[in-house]
Amino acid sequence: MTKETFLHDKHVALGARMVDFAGWSMPVQYTSIIEEHKTVRENVGLFDVSHMGEVFISGKDSLEFLNKIVPQDISKLVYEKAIYCQLPNKNGGLIDDLIIYKLGLLEYLIICNAARIDEDLNWMVRNKKGFEVKIDNQSHNYSLLAVQGPKAAELLHTMGLDINQNSFTIRPAKVAGIKLLASRTGYTGEDGFELLVENEFSEELFDRILEAGKPFGIKPIGLGARDTLRLEAALHLYGNDLDENTTPVEAGLSWSVPKDKIADYNGKKAIMNQIKNGTEKKLVGLKMLDRGIARHGYEIFYKGENIGVITSGGISPMLNANIALGYVKNIEEICTGAIVQIMIREKLHDAEIVKRPFITKRNIVKIN
Amino acid sequence: MSITEKILCAKTHEFIYENENNIYTAGLTDYAVEQLGDIVFLELPEAGTEFKKGETFATVESVKAASEIYMPISGKITEVNSAVADSPEILNEDPYEKGWLVKIERTGDDTELSDLMEYEDYKEDLE
Repeated sequence: MTKETFLHDKHVALGARMVDFAGWSMPVQYTSIIEEHKTVRENVGLFDVSHMGEVFISGKDSLEFLNKIVPQDISKLVYEKAIYCQLPNKNGGLIDDLIIYKLGLLEYLIICNAARIDEDLNWMVRNKKGFEVKIDNQSHNYSLLAVQGPKAAELLHTMGLDINQNSFTIRPAKVAGIKLLASRTGYTGEDGFELLVENEFSEELFDRILEAGKPFGIKPIGLGARDTLRLEAALHLYGNDLDENTTPVEAGLSWSVPKDKIADYNGKKAIMNQIKNGTEKKLVGLKMLDRGIARHGYEIFYKGENIGVITSGGISPMLNANIALGYVKNIEEICTGAIVQIMIREKLHDAEIVKRPFITKRNIVKIN
Repeated sequence: MSITEKILCAKTHEFIYENENNIYTAGLTDYAVEQLGDIVFLELPEAGTEFKKGETFATVESVKAASEIYMPISGKITEVNSAVADSPEILNEDPYEKGWLVKIERTGDDTELSDLMEYEDYKEDLE
């Protein structure tokens, strides 16, 4: 049975094409993926991402518990701050990637991928032995709306949100009089907010944002554009670019792994060993040099040798080029500027290894 | 006569109609095009290539995915629509007229036409 978010009927009424995604019926597009993509880059877009999971962690040992399950140092996470984390298994492979928020002294919120909620919970319960901690899955009680784009802050400001809020922070707030948690995060490479609201208020919030957003050129945005936006920003997609056989080091996420964390955590030995001694494979950004489109699973060649595989690929509406993320053999000469070939329907197409992200990340918009 | 009155459609969403002397125009149905969404790339065969019914003769790439296009009849490609290859978005706008893909000289026998449906039946079959 496919699950529906509280906004399902709104999407259908807006003409969305609904698809099954991680067991949820979700809008893939309302009008056109390219049009919706450009709306987010140029103005502001509204996403329903209520399928994502919300797990509250509380109790005396919540800090120690979190420090055991993620490589990041949660002891450095201060009140109202958010941090991008991974959930490694014992070998350093990733069960999921997450955002952890500190809501209070002994209270944290984890936002995780819809498709991984069960695995995450199972893993957390397996790891809670010896910790006095409460793992409270509230995914079914909350809706998550993302307002993203260069005009997102200005729009929410007109709706009563105090937008004097730093990137990667969360706090209780009101938008159009509706109580919610406002997080200055997103998955588009743009400035914006993610609004965590109790289900019963989600429809009203959705309508009010679309209404107030009209002068800003707002549009509802489907998962199709969410994928092209995150790809341009070179943000990993769990299931494509990350999985249980991929470590954060291989995935180019070493920047997020502290080298000086004292506490032991799952996969620490494998991860620290890779940081010290290197990896067999590495994630790279690729730009196609012709009109071919690299897709998930296509093979990568270098000097006639199969050296890796594409994990995400598609078009970049902003660069007017085809881009991809893939894993290649970690050797020095396969680096930025190198030309490799992607096998597309039995033909090799040239692609250049380029720096990630493919587009410049936007700064947060401030209003005085 | 509107174009949908003269076309025959395959279950795999290609259409054909006969022009003259056994030459058929082939393309993708409006339903297929709508389902694909923004079309960004088309890989079409070269004129002169021969294919059997059911073989992949072209590939269409939308933003989301690559999809194969199958020969609705056996035949030889006599002409390729280079305008649509250069600007694949034409397919989204006008799949039947400007967005035709290839012209085919039919080589198979009439039994090959038996599983093709008239447009009305094709639409019904989708429901």
